[in-house]
Amino acid sequence: MNWNKDKSIILTQACLIVFAVCLLALDVGMYWVARWTSETRVIHFALLMVSGYGISVFAWIVLWRLWRFMANIKRGVIFTKENYMHCFHISWCMVGAAIICFVCGLFYFPFLVLFAASGFVAIMMRVVKNVFQQAVEMRSELDLTI
Amino acid sequence: MEIIVNLDVMMAKRKISSTELSERIGITPANLSILKTGKAKAIRFSTLMALCRELDCQPGDILEYRE
Repeated sequence: MNWNKDKSIILTQACLIVFAVCLLALDVGMYWVARWTSETRVIHFALLMVSGYGISVFAWIVLWRLWRFMANIKRGVIFTKENYMHCFHISWCMVGAAIICFVCGLFYFPFLVLFAASGFVAIMMRVVKNVFQQAVEMRSELDLTI
Repeated sequence: MEIIVNLDVMMAKRKISSTELSERIGITPANLSILKTGKAKAIRFSTLMALCRELDCQPGDILEYRE
């Protein structure tokens, strides 16, 4: 199979579209999901609604930033300030989601798993952002080496 | 403390234009302009060697250290 970097990007973008559709479906059906969950588990309906939509806002920002990030990589525009700012914003969105999950975790334990996962991704994105930032600085220096 | 590029002075002394010099040393006029205006962060030995060859000078004639 002839696999190349373009196919990886296309696959990632396809995944982002699927995630966006799932997120949209979750946003539309949040009321019913929250009602069903609150009926079957010991968690308050309002807490689920607020946390669900709160996390959803961050998720939309992350998806949009990832989409732009992938589009830039596809165009061959890689080590730019715009790209490491995407990583920076994604990292902060994950921190936001982690905070919401932590608060929910105080009332419903399984949310702490989401807190740990989003916190880990936030830290990883921060590392990626730092790497990109350093690469941008190195590239700028290389561009000005005559 | 800084390194000053006196390329424009040497070019004036040798009466050579930017376009001609860039063609002779094999760099783009845009890159030569970066060198002349002091915006460059580094210079390759190969570029410096070509400049010295075409301008018939020493590296010290092009680069100057100032406190």
